[in-house]
Amino acid sequence: MWRQHRYKMLFSLLLLLSGLLLAIDIGSAKHSNEFDWLDILGEGTTLLVACGWLGLIISSRPAGRITEWLYYGSLLLVYSYFLDLLDEFIRYPEHIRLMSWLESLPAPVGMLVLTYGLIGWHREQRAINRQLRGRELFLRDHQLIDPLTQLYGIEYLQAVLQREIELHQSQHKALGLLVLDIDNFAEFNRQYGIANGDAYLGQLSELLSNQLRHSDVVCRYAGDRFIALLPNTALAQTNIMAQHLRQQLSQLSVESSRPQLTLVEMAVQQDNAQSALHAADQAMALAKKTATHKLQPI
Amino acid sequence: MSIRLFGYQDKILLLQHGSTELLALAQRRGAQLHKLLSGTSIFEQDLHKPHGRLHHNDWLKLLQNCQQQLNSPELPYLLGNALLNNHYISLCQSLQYAQNLHQALAQLYYFRHQLFPCFYARLSQQQHCIIIEFKPALGLASQQAFMLTAVISLLLGLVKQQLGTVAGISLQLQQAASHQLQHQLHWGVDVSFNRSLDCISIPLALWQQVFTDANTLKFNAARRTCRQLNHVLSKQRALPESICRLQHRALPQLLNQDQVAAELGLSSSSLKRQLNQHNTNFATLLDEVRRDAARQLLQQGHYSNRQLALKLGYSDEHNFRRAFKRWTGLIPSSFKGMFNFN
Repeated sequence: MWRQHRYKMLFSLLLLLSGLLLAIDIGSAKHSNEFDWLDILGEGTTLLVACGWLGLIISSRPAGRITEWLYYGSLLLVYSYFLDLLDEFIRYPEHIRLMSWLESLPAPVGMLVLTYGLIGWHREQRAINRQLRGRELFLRDHQLIDPLTQLYGIEYLQAVLQREIELHQSQHKALGLLVLDIDNFAEFNRQYGIANGDAYLGQLSELLSNQLRHSDVVCRYAGDRFIALLPNTALAQTNIMAQHLRQQLSQLSVESSRPQLTLVEMAVQQDNAQSALHAADQAMALAKKTATHKLQPI
Repeated sequence: MSIRLFGYQDKILLLQHGSTELLALAQRRGAQLHKLLSGTSIFEQDLHKPHGRLHHNDWLKLLQNCQQQLNSPELPYLLGNALLNNHYISLCQSLQYAQNLHQALAQLYYFRHQLFPCFYARLSQQQHCIIIEFKPALGLASQQAFMLTAVISLLLGLVKQQLGTVAGISLQLQQAASHQLQHQLHWGVDVSFNRSLDCISIPLALWQQVFTDANTLKFNAARRTCRQLNHVLSKQRALPESICRLQHRALPQLLNQDQVAAELGLSSSSLKRQLNQHNTNFATLLDEVRRDAARQLLQQGHYSNRQLALKLGYSDEHNFRRAFKRWTGLIPSSFKGMFNFN
């Protein structure tokens, strides 16, 4: 992220440097017995924290409109605090008011700019949350995200499934489950290389999270198996979803080099996550044996 | 002894035989190359050299970096499979063209210094299966489970590809059951945890079954390439492994430090110093050898404690019983009942 903001950082440094030069030009140094160390400590800490904010913004945000607002707001704050700290060491002549203006004016302006930026950030976060829906349900823990597909992994699935089962049972609602398995993925990997296998998993997970509803959550259950949780969905509706997904997936496997997929749907009737997942595994094993649910490339 | 010994600082691992695959896997999962390589002496440009090498310190650091950067439990399984299907590793190619599992495993074991110098194996037969026990040839610290998973994934991958089934194969692991689910999903074989050894049990029936891709010509060609690679990368063994072998062979006699040093062509002090680098010492290794031998003997047949004590070089039965209790927390007779694959 740092590289995107090179000019911004250069500009900030120049701005602070010009403040310093201006202060030295106008004022004269104080004697060391005139220093108020408590003030210096307080103002120095404020400056350091504001600099820390700048650093965090630069290192965590991509370039963009909101980043600019956040950055320049904090920069004005830093500038103001910097001059504030300087006047502990430098005395200005009484008749020149410029330095005290420069010291006090940027801070409130900076605060306003920063606030505007934060509002923008809030909106942006809402948009991102909308985009994330379908990938997560009620829990957020970035440690559980599978780095390849950006879907949540099995621990997340177990936690969410357990909670949903309890909720749905107490409210007497139906909970649906879709299980998607790539047939003979090891062979695909062997033939086309693991790099292609990884790329395929990426495509597949993208398609899954796009094609399901916002309330559904897709997880990567195992290397080659995905499970989607459909809250508040009866079996009939789950069937329709599965049918829809099969159509979409068969478009993905148009190229002959794509592996075949098996998709099974089920209604969760078990009362804990473990037995539900076990049932899902068994349903998948049965489907593979009977091979009625196979998705044939068109 | 003609075989050279290696330590953590000897560059005996080929970058192309594992590291590049691991780095590619990690990078596709979003890890950054410079962070993966940090703390190692590997440079980015070395990665493309055909015979670029690294030593075990770097390899362990690399594994550690991968796990720090990524939360991807599938990594060791994928690494095993990626190695197996890598076209640049002639050893792995030769495995697939072997006649049967017997030939493949013999080949893997003979050339293991090209792929997994950090493990050696011990074979034993039990009823209808052959048991391969994996022993670390040098201290792998916290990465032993990762490496073991990779090796087992490679073996199971080979069996699955060539014989179409892993039915009847079972595993015993020393580690606790924390990875149970992952093992189950990736391997599809029975795994038991918290055991006294790391081993895989393969039914005799699979041992001689002909591989689907069996091809003598291609196998011989690949083996020739392996032999050529031996000129560049000579056969080397880790010191702890060599000592354990010597001791095991000498039982019921016990070799002392000077005898072993002489056998290995080292001075006694340099043996001690090198063992120190491996974070172990002579007495620990000897104890380990006796423990393994005791377990193996118990598993094979009905020896009395007196016979066992004699075979393991203990001065009397009492000492043996005490040592056994220290190893397992059990007395020998109750251990016999526990050690059972079925």
